[in-house]
Amino acid sequence: MSQLKILILFFIVLFVFFCSLVLGPKIIMPGALDDVEREILFSIRLPRVLVAFLMGTALGASGAVLQGILRNPLADPYVLGISSGASLAAALGIISGMIFLGSVTTPVLAFIGAIATGGIVGVMGIKRGGFWPERLLLAGVGMSFLCSALLMLIMSLSTDEGMRRATLWIFGDLSMSDWQRIPYGSALVLIGVVLSLSRAKALNALILGDELAHSLGFAPQRERFILFISVGLMTAASVSLGGMIGFIGLLMPHIMRFFFGADNRILIPASALGGGALLCTADLVSRTVLPPMELPAGVVTAIIGAPYFLYLLRRKDALSI
Amino acid sequence: MPSVSNLHILDFNGVCFSYGKNRPFIRNLAFSIREGDFIGLLGANGSGKSTILKLASGILKPSSGSITLWGRDLSRENGRDRAKLISYLPQTLDIGVPFTVRELVSMGLYPYDIPPAMDVDEALDVVGLLEKAEARLMDLSGGERRRTFIAMTLLQGAGLLLLDEPLANLDIRYQIELVKLLRNLRAVRNISVVMALHDINMALQFENVMLIKDGGIIGVGKPEEVLTRDRVKEAFDVDVDIKKNGVKGMYISYEHNF
Repeated sequence: MSQLKILILFFIVLFVFFCSLVLGPKIIMPGALDDVEREILFSIRLPRVLVAFLMGTALGASGAVLQGILRNPLADPYVLGISSGASLAAALGIISGMIFLGSVTTPVLAFIGAIATGGIVGVMGIKRGGFWPERLLLAGVGMSFLCSALLMLIMSLSTDEGMRRATLWIFGDLSMSDWQRIPYGSALVLIGVVLSLSRAKALNALILGDELAHSLGFAPQRERFILFISVGLMTAASVSLGGMIGFIGLLMPHIMRFFFGADNRILIPASALGGGALLCTADLVSRTVLPPMELPAGVVTAIIGAPYFLYLLRRKDALSI
Repeated sequence: MPSVSNLHILDFNGVCFSYGKNRPFIRNLAFSIREGDFIGLLGANGSGKSTILKLASGILKPSSGSITLWGRDLSRENGRDRAKLISYLPQTLDIGVPFTVRELVSMGLYPYDIPPAMDVDEALDVVGLLEKAEARLMDLSGGERRRTFIAMTLLQGAGLLLLDEPLANLDIRYQIELVKLLRNLRAVRNISVVMALHDINMALQFENVMLIKDGGIIGVGKPEEVLTRDRVKEAFDVDVDIKKNGVKGMYISYEHNF
């Protein structure tokens, strides 16, 4: 049964991927492509769809991991301010013209920002040796506001048009996607997903509580740290690919838990694939629903996601991890 | 009934522990758990029962002294190796755990690369939960939830089970059920059990009790010998009457306090 569900998810992902490539203001049927269509497909659509898929994958998987390590159903990189921290660090890098690592400077800065913000939120959320959900969420919301405000300040102060454009993508604009960011983006997402999957058993044990995780042979603090690094990598990838997009990390693990159960060995890859499919769909809707206008993909994820989330809320125990 | 062998599986050697710098809590504690032991750790709230179990499981580290597990230093034991020898269940088991009974029980296999002989169905059968294998943990009763965790520790294959107040918040029926299950596991599978509890009459069902006060042992041995009027007064600060009746030949009454 579980294999069948995985197969269905896989086909949904392929179907969404295919539709995202073919559909748009101009419908491109593969087979007989002219030069213009080839240019649209390979220079515009394919990188854009890949960026959306990679971002969604990173957000879905990191949501599942964060909800597990914090034992909190409302955790995701966006809510906890990790995305804003990553964006702020990346934006500061761009504004100050930092290029010490070439094209990977932005993701490296985003990673540092993600880890720093996540660390601060984590420390503020600790009370009497354990994470307190309310403190953690409030700390996340606070940090998120602070980082977003600083980002806005940077945007308002930057006069140079190029810089203004460079910081625009931070707010979830996929229309500027190109091939340049895809290699490091996929590498970071892949490392993050593989790292979190390799610790999936430990994540299951951490959900039972630190003492039971210890009894099962794991070192809770060490496992949580490794998993947190994987979240940092995936958030950095997502932010440096296309900026901040909310809801996917929060929503997708809940949807997938409903279909696949809570075992993170299946939940993490399922949330990753589901997240990829959802963001591709959202992006497809965003560029086809009101042509020639494009909506931000993040708006569409929220419009698709919020009603489903509200439906989930009405289900018994829907908000448990 | 299996006899308790002389093989020591857990030894506390002059163990001291403190929460914070100037709050010594456990002072120079020394005792041994032998193979086949079925021990009730009895004491008032805050007497140190949980701390002793957490030290024994390696969650807390002694500030001085040593703890050995099958003759090996517990603090040097690799996590996975330790998990195959000793299993600890905390007092509070999160009721919001999202797993099914089967998913949770199968976590008992996590310390193993090559799964041991027992499988999930067998472990569930032992605790009488085979029919509820696909149920979600949050939909079970308190007693069933406890038994699910016991099944997980069975699969874990540890020879020593440390249970922190597993009877707390359980109806008397489930309390009896759980104690009988553990006694049976000890008889059939030779699993040694150390269980913290605070019901002095339930302690009579244990082969041995260890009476704890202020982080130290004030009596250890057969319950009918340890649980004297004076010692119970010392441990719980309450006057009791030892009545001679019941299956165990005695019953501890505290009704005259009301």
